[in-house]
Amino acid sequence: MEQVLNSIGNYLGLLFILLCLGLILYYFFSDGNQPKINLRDIQAFRHLRREVDLAVEAGKRLHISLGRGSINELQGGAAFIGLTILDRSARAASNSDRPPMATAGDGVLTILSQDTLQSTYRSLGTEQRYDPTNARMTGLNPLAYAAGAMPIIHDEYVSANFFTGHLGTEIALLTEAGERSGSLTVAGSDSLHAQAVLFTTSDEPLLGEELYAAGAYLGAGPAHIASLRSQDLLRWVLIGAIVIGAIIKLLGFLN
Amino acid sequence: MKKILPTSNAIIAVISGLLVLLGYFFPGVFGNIQSVLIGWAIILAAFALLLGIYNLALVHWKKAGAGGTNGINSIVLLVSLGITIIAASLSGPTGSLSVWIFNNFQVPVEISLLAVLAVVLVYAAARLLTRRPKWSTILFLVTVLIVLLGSVPLFFLGEVAPLVALRGWVTQVPAVAGGRGLLLGVALGTVATGIRILMGVDRPYGG
Repeated sequence: MEQVLNSIGNYLGLLFILLCLGLILYYFFSDGNQPKINLRDIQAFRHLRREVDLAVEAGKRLHISLGRGSINELQGGAAFIGLTILDRSARAASNSDRPPMATAGDGVLTILSQDTLQSTYRSLGTEQRYDPTNARMTGLNPLAYAAGAMPIIHDEYVSANFFTGHLGTEIALLTEAGERSGSLTVAGSDSLHAQAVLFTTSDEPLLGEELYAAGAYLGAGPAHIASLRSQDLLRWVLIGAIVIGAIIKLLGFLN
Repeated sequence: MKKILPTSNAIIAVISGLLVLLGYFFPGVFGNIQSVLIGWAIILAAFALLLGIYNLALVHWKKAGAGGTNGINSIVLLVSLGITIIAASLSGPTGSLSVWIFNNFQVPVEISLLAVLAVVLVYAAARLLTRRPKWSTILFLVTVLIVLLGSVPLFFLGEVAPLVALRGWVTQVPAVAGGRGLLLGVALGTVATGIRILMGVDRPYGG
């Protein structure tokens, strides 16, 4: 078995990606015939949706933190989820006096967040509402980013903060700023250290893969639901593989 | 033009993404083009950094113009930015002036923030029981206490062997298992996000 694994080792990653792609396409086309897909309740997204509505009524704004992960690296994946959330929030709060604000700790992410806001407003026919200073770079290292984003939470009439992307333990300073300003904090990260801190400090922590379900829960389209369903299936496959591997190891078939 | 650009952006992004991805699996065929594309991305990222700094300066220029306490903070930031750029231009990024600014301004400020961070975390842990009174919270706090007590010698007792052993087991077995579970979820999410971008469904580039 090991020889077989070694021989296909170089292509295992590619096979896995093709498997993911196949599953997403399968669910995308098969779910199209179903009237509605029921997703399990995640309190954080329920509260976030409610907060978007309240922010519009109260004349407040949402703050979406994209973290400081570079898209040239692995950490960029979580930041892309933040861009999806920014798009959905800008659409939902299109009638609000105060549009959503995005902060990032990376130059590329800042430009992408500006681009996301601009294209969202363009698609809604309200491009005149676009202001490039609503997407800001606040600092380039962890603590500088946190120090730059904290005044925004305090001073920019923020009703809810969504922290997503690659952040470290410095996220505690941001969630504390949210707590002091009386705004809701929904937060998820790809970093284990940040997740441990978020469990303690955030109103609504998103652990593990929950962050990556944001698009499906915020109505970003059938492709997001299809990818969520494929992730669920693949997770069970991985759990099965781990359990079988552990049993085989326990029985002494593998050294 | 406005209708053509999003489509052409998407085509360029999807093809570039596919070529870079294939470069990892077939380095002999796609390795060279992958290197070229990544090189371009790094150059663009450097320019994006400059634009980010311009964005930062623009935001604080507007705030400084608005006046008030925040205006003063923004003026301090703009002056500091200007001085740092001049110093780094004169002596280079690792020159004496740049290092002096780093050691005497940035390091003390970051250490102060780290100290605040430690207090914030202790305060948040103490507040956790009132914020989220669940069994999982109690388990979390008990685990934190065990790991802390097992990590340091205690007054009059020194190192307590059972606590040290328990700490070792907690950090090496359940913590590692939980951490790996979370990382697997993150990895699956990242792969799915990448595939959606390669499919052209998610277009974070204004497409």
